[in-house]
Amino acid sequence: MTEVAVLGVGMHPFGKFEGKSVGDLCRTAVVAALADAGISWREIEAVAAASSRFSGGKGWGLNGNDVVEDMGSTGVPVYNLSAGCSAGGNALNVGYTLVASGLHDVVLVVGGEKMPKGFIQTSGVEEKTDPEFLRQRCIGVSGPAFWGMLCRRRMEDYGTSEEHLAKIAVKAHANSVHNPYARFRKPFTLEEVLKSPMVCFPLRLYEICPVSDGAAAAILCSARFARRKTSKPVWVASSTVATARFDDGVTRHLAAVSPKGRTMHSEAKIAVEKAFERAGLGPRDLNLVELQDNTVYYELAFPEEWGLCSEGEAERLVEKGETVPTGKLPINPSGGFQSFGEATTAMGVFQVAELTWQLRGEAGGRQVPHARVGLGQTIGLGGNATAVVLKS
Amino acid sequence: MSQRIPVIEGLFAERSDGPRLIGSRCTTCATPYFPKSPVCHNPGCDQSKMEDAAFGPTGVLFSFAVQNYPPPPPAKYDEPYRPYAVGMVDLPEGLRVLGRIATDDFSQLRGGLPVHLIVDRMYHDSEGNEVVTWQFRPAPVLAQADDRRMKP
Repeated sequence: MTEVAVLGVGMHPFGKFEGKSVGDLCRTAVVAALADAGISWREIEAVAAASSRFSGGKGWGLNGNDVVEDMGSTGVPVYNLSAGCSAGGNALNVGYTLVASGLHDVVLVVGGEKMPKGFIQTSGVEEKTDPEFLRQRCIGVSGPAFWGMLCRRRMEDYGTSEEHLAKIAVKAHANSVHNPYARFRKPFTLEEVLKSPMVCFPLRLYEICPVSDGAAAAILCSARFARRKTSKPVWVASSTVATARFDDGVTRHLAAVSPKGRTMHSEAKIAVEKAFERAGLGPRDLNLVELQDNTVYYELAFPEEWGLCSEGEAERLVEKGETVPTGKLPINPSGGFQSFGEATTAMGVFQVAELTWQLRGEAGGRQVPHARVGLGQTIGLGGNATAVVLKS
Repeated sequence: MSQRIPVIEGLFAERSDGPRLIGSRCTTCATPYFPKSPVCHNPGCDQSKMEDAAFGPTGVLFSFAVQNYPPPPPAKYDEPYRPYAVGMVDLPEGLRVLGRIATDDFSQLRGGLPVHLIVDRMYHDSEGNEVVTWQFRPAPVLAQADDRRMKP
């Protein structure tokens, strides 16, 4: 295995862009990443692209071949990876593997999305063999309702208050003010969040992420190639992919086996723990985390499921403001999904862009002081998850 | 004439002793499945041997949420839209099942609440048929006042 560096990153700002195609968004991100890496398109040896196919063929997503055709067809291999909201992380992992294996020196990882309006529609077929169709037709449980169930149980178990939830959203937007790529760049008060409409009790509009258009790209390369281009590369310490365990307590279909313990989000826990193990690093080495905050609930559940804090401690960290960029455990200094909105396939790559800027000390007003090690994590429909550890 | 029809055939039955969810169970490892599964998916099970099984009618609420806004397709509902509760219910057979929680008083809902299976109306189809699905109704005995409730 050869060491893998992040040589360059680039993004298209997130928002709603009526006049632009997903290709337009990706081109902006790819051109920016190439410029950041100081290389030309012709030097890219392979492309790993994220594609967001869901259950029953539902999805939008990127076709990596379109990006290659747009940039100039050089005959390079293209890998289109599908893993719901985790697809960007999957593409990153495949790009990483292609370089780490020694097969390629320079690889482009790209994710981009033009999202339809409103709630994400998770099934595109009317077939009783499709579990997502059954969930929606027989029950009618939207994504936010699902997060709401998980959040509500936590509130009962750990005394999480409405203020805790709102405070996480306030923190996200306070960070996004300093991020030129974020869709929502205005600060929110606790009162504004608490007065936003209830979408799926107990979660309010400003406590879940909307959908956005956006794109992100990263150039990964071998250590040999990196040293020719820069004296201070950012390294991929590890990159992992995992799927959910059979005994996970989060029902993915109409039912699951009742878990023996509190096993939840096992796919994310496995991915993160493996990422730590392979990097030879642990929670204490982390300076910042970019985690998938589709809902503020995840910022409470994930840190303790991964051992970043003890059980029930997450609310105390929020109360004390320890998750802000200058706190003990900075979470989502980018502003997170709350401030960007989700462009599904771009998210795993967006996290790598933010971590790279943070580790280079280029994050401006949202910079985490002395950031040397960062964790990124995604979770996607169907029991998918990824993790990546970057180090300077 | 309008009829009472199941939202999807084969998922639940209204028997003389009450409603049941229709699933299956592996006789090797005792893993329950809803809906029916042709094979056992337990990675720890060495031999998949499936038999039909019926689940319910009692369970315990694990958690719930309220669908305050109309859900996207392929969900269906009658106009005007009325918010409903959805929940995860642990059955004594070892299944955690998703379903609607049949109550208008969301403030009584909390983890640990005993519930029982019912089959009730979900929406009307274009021919005016009453489309029914499985739901869980809070058991009346424990639906008592609790000052710690959070108002949905």
